[in-house]
Amino acid sequence: MTQATPSVSTYASGTADRPYDDEDISSREFWSTDMFEREKTFARLRSRDTITWHPTPADQIFEHPDDYGFWAITQYDDLVEVTKRHEDFLSGPGILMENLPAEFIEGAQSFIGMDPPRHARLRRLVASAFTPKQMRRINEMISRNAKSAVENLVAKAEANGGEADFVAECAGLMPMNNINDMMDVPDGDREEAANQTAIAMSWSDPEMVGHTKEEVINSLMTANGYCHELAVRLAGERRENPGNDLISSMAQAEIDGERLTDHEIGAFFVLLTVAGNDTTRQSTSHGLKALTDFPDQRAWLLEDLEGRMATAVEELVRWATPIATFRRTASRDMEFRGRQITAGDKVVMFYSSANRDERRIERAHELDLSRKPNPHITFGGGGIHHCLGNQLARTQLGAMFTELLTQAPAITAGEPELTPSNFFNIVKRMPAYPAGR
Amino acid sequence: MKIDVDYNRCTGHGLCELEAADVFEVGKDGLVQVLIDHPGEEHRQGIEAAIEICPTAALSLRD
Repeated sequence: MTQATPSVSTYASGTADRPYDDEDISSREFWSTDMFEREKTFARLRSRDTITWHPTPADQIFEHPDDYGFWAITQYDDLVEVTKRHEDFLSGPGILMENLPAEFIEGAQSFIGMDPPRHARLRRLVASAFTPKQMRRINEMISRNAKSAVENLVAKAEANGGEADFVAECAGLMPMNNINDMMDVPDGDREEAANQTAIAMSWSDPEMVGHTKEEVINSLMTANGYCHELAVRLAGERRENPGNDLISSMAQAEIDGERLTDHEIGAFFVLLTVAGNDTTRQSTSHGLKALTDFPDQRAWLLEDLEGRMATAVEELVRWATPIATFRRTASRDMEFRGRQITAGDKVVMFYSSANRDERRIERAHELDLSRKPNPHITFGGGGIHHCLGNQLARTQLGAMFTELLTQAPAITAGEPELTPSNFFNIVKRMPAYPAGR
Repeated sequence: MKIDVDYNRCTGHGLCELEAADVFEVGKDGLVQVLIDHPGEEHRQGIEAAIEICPTAALSLRD
């Protein structure tokens, strides 16, 4: 069944005569720095006290002659407003600020790139697996996966002079095992699926995807192809022998009397794989770096791990902001913050910026693990697309940092190697020293 | 009190469960179930918090 709203087909955005803001937030160069460097630019943009118009990145994989740029939403209140008005700011035409091949996008977004009514119908199929109460039911599984990830890190470091790559040996493992336990994806397949989607999400990193346009597109489509084949195979098995897992839910689902197509099941799987793997692992890595850089904060947390962890996790996800941007498309002409938006314009929400907006978050540039209330918008500004996995992420991060600070309370992180990305705040590698350094 | 749910809006986010665990639970169909038909005054604060936090504004209260 195809969705009612048009899929990723409208690359046109804006007009040739609309003047651009001076600040560069488009180029690959900008996105190749780190979040602290980027924040200097975002702070200047927030001070304009409006939304700003910027050129489409010049070095994208997929250029379109009528794509003149995007509106940047850098202030907290504006981001919340855009989020809530899902009829004015559509997800159907695509939720990435970058232009990627339509075939890839359509095979990867599933309901995150949909508008009502189909959005809710797909999301509801799996919603009960991600609720607060369900997290309590699977808490043991989550704790177990955190424990084994940390044990692995400690063992690898011990065998390697006290150092191990935190991403490969810990941060990446826990969320991978949790989301794949929920989908009941076999060992071997789960590692390869995570590996493939990590490559795909690194479309701006030649080390991961190659240099030429052909190589990049090939990397993206290979990732999708692998995940689709795996998902369809598993769904077929689960139709015969249903379980309690997410793939069984997808396989047996009927919407308006019709089953999901293989393509829809594949895209659903890609979405859950990416969302499950490539977000929490960033918060984990940035979180460990923050605990290294601010030892007084770590000391505060260690005074009462159990009592203070939930509050600390909120601040760590605000600090890390694993998803830097999401895009919407204006459904009509409208005025917004004194600017004139035209139907079809891309509107990009900058979560990293909103999470540092001192209009809503006091001392926003300070890491304060005791921060309460903490109105961060890491999981979104509310609305129908509010992060499905927010409770899973919070539970995982609580389990992970409890394990880390219990098994290796002196652990430190070295300098992270970042993957350039205008989508995720990606840590590619980061040395960790469980016994300290 | 009586809780009204707009089932067109409810997408089973489950944040209501956090605010009033005795009153709300998301079912397998991804829609919220109201566990207590006529909750007493002791539940009012939790229910109002749930109404406030629901990302899709699917909940309301009738006295």
